[in-house]
Amino acid sequence: MKRTLYFSCLLVAVISVHTVSAQSLFKKLKDKVSQKINPNTDNSSSNNNNNDASNGKPVNKVGGGLTNTAPPDVKAEMADAEAAHNEKKYSDARYALSQALMGVEIQLGNQILKSLPATSDGLDANASKDVVMSTQWGWSNLSIQRVWENKNDKQMTIIIGNAGIYAGLASMYFTNAAMVETNNNKQNFKQTRVKGNKAIIQYEDNTGYTLIVSLGQSSMMVWQCVNFATEQEVMDTANSFDIDGIKKMLGEQ
Amino acid sequence: MKNFILLIALAAVVNVCRAQDFNKAMATAKASYSAGKLEDAHFALQQAMQEVDLTVGKEVLKLLPSKLGTMTSVSKDDNVSSNVGFVGATIHRAYGQGAQNADISIIDNSPLIAMTNSLLNMPMMGMMTGGKDKNVKVQGYKARLEKQAGSTPDKSSYELQIPLGNALFTFKVNDCTDDQILALADTVPLQEIAKLIE
Repeated sequence: MKRTLYFSCLLVAVISVHTVSAQSLFKKLKDKVSQKINPNTDNSSSNNNNNDASNGKPVNKVGGGLTNTAPPDVKAEMADAEAAHNEKKYSDARYALSQALMGVEIQLGNQILKSLPATSDGLDANASKDVVMSTQWGWSNLSIQRVWENKNDKQMTIIIGNAGIYAGLASMYFTNAAMVETNNNKQNFKQTRVKGNKAIIQYEDNTGYTLIVSLGQSSMMVWQCVNFATEQEVMDTANSFDIDGIKKMLGEQ
Repeated sequence: MKNFILLIALAAVVNVCRAQDFNKAMATAKASYSAGKLEDAHFALQQAMQEVDLTVGKEVLKLLPSKLGTMTSVSKDDNVSSNVGFVGATIHRAYGQGAQNADISIIDNSPLIAMTNSLLNMPMMGMMTGGKDKNVKVQGYKARLEKQAGSTPDKSSYELQIPLGNALFTFKVNDCTDDQILALADTVPLQEIAKLIE
């Protein structure tokens, strides 16, 4: 009985080794044949091409993207809205108004960007990462972003947004202390204030410090600070910003 | 006859007031923008947009039939509201005050539009509702007809949802059959409404 068992195990092992070696031999043979057929193609690229072809879709390799268009001309859009309204073309009037709103929002976003400092906490602003984004949903999706950084991987990103939905979520945290305060020794999420405005500060090992400040009814300002040494450094930096000026520009009280 | 003339006069006055409100908001927007007061210009433009939405709503109400079958419209329940932001204008009209009632509501930029379109285009999703709804066509528009409980156990009510671009047209009739609600829906000028609110 024992002998039969040993024999069976040996047989299984031999068959497995044989199968593996046969597979590898088959692969080697296949590679050699492909190299003979197309000597300029190496194995790795042929594998990639096979993968691309497997989903049946070609991969895009050309195309310069979309060209940047100028923000809507607010005065022209307002004139169009009035003309369309007078002609009772209400759909056109609405479209022109939404374009005018977008134009105003982009100008306002650029105005706020200009008001932000060129250097902060020893970091220089990277103008290539400035973003002002607006959709035609009237005010609720205006987002402004600026990034400050240095060569030592220290970075601060500020996002100023006016989004009623997000502001509502933040308010939920601000009004419910139990949701953010913990009694553990290590506290990674807590409420604070920046120049009298309610705020939340959060720390995560991978992303660093995030400070969210509520501005008036529906605006928020977020600092994402990577490689900042302490919470105090983040707070000092945030306090150096003209928050009241930004609030005023956004029409917040 | 006197009442009819009064009604027309009232509608004309309301229209003039609406146009004045729009012009006033536009004048404020232009003045604020020229003065560099962007936030004020923004607020005034929003006001102007609300006025446009309200005007469109009033125009849609004019298109809706004053009578649906035996049910007459309840003019005191006519309502148009405008919200700048997530949901646009909301238009509402009710019909009948007796045993049978109907209700039309049109919500521009309705959050339910995506769900209704999914149900209309994915029959599997419709099948999961327990056979209480079906997809139908009204004047060439795809629509979702849902059976609901009537005023008594032996009666049924129906709700018809028709996506018109970004707007959702909802038509409810209580104590009726599916054929009756579809016949009533055929009397509503959907194409003209869609053109106005697009």
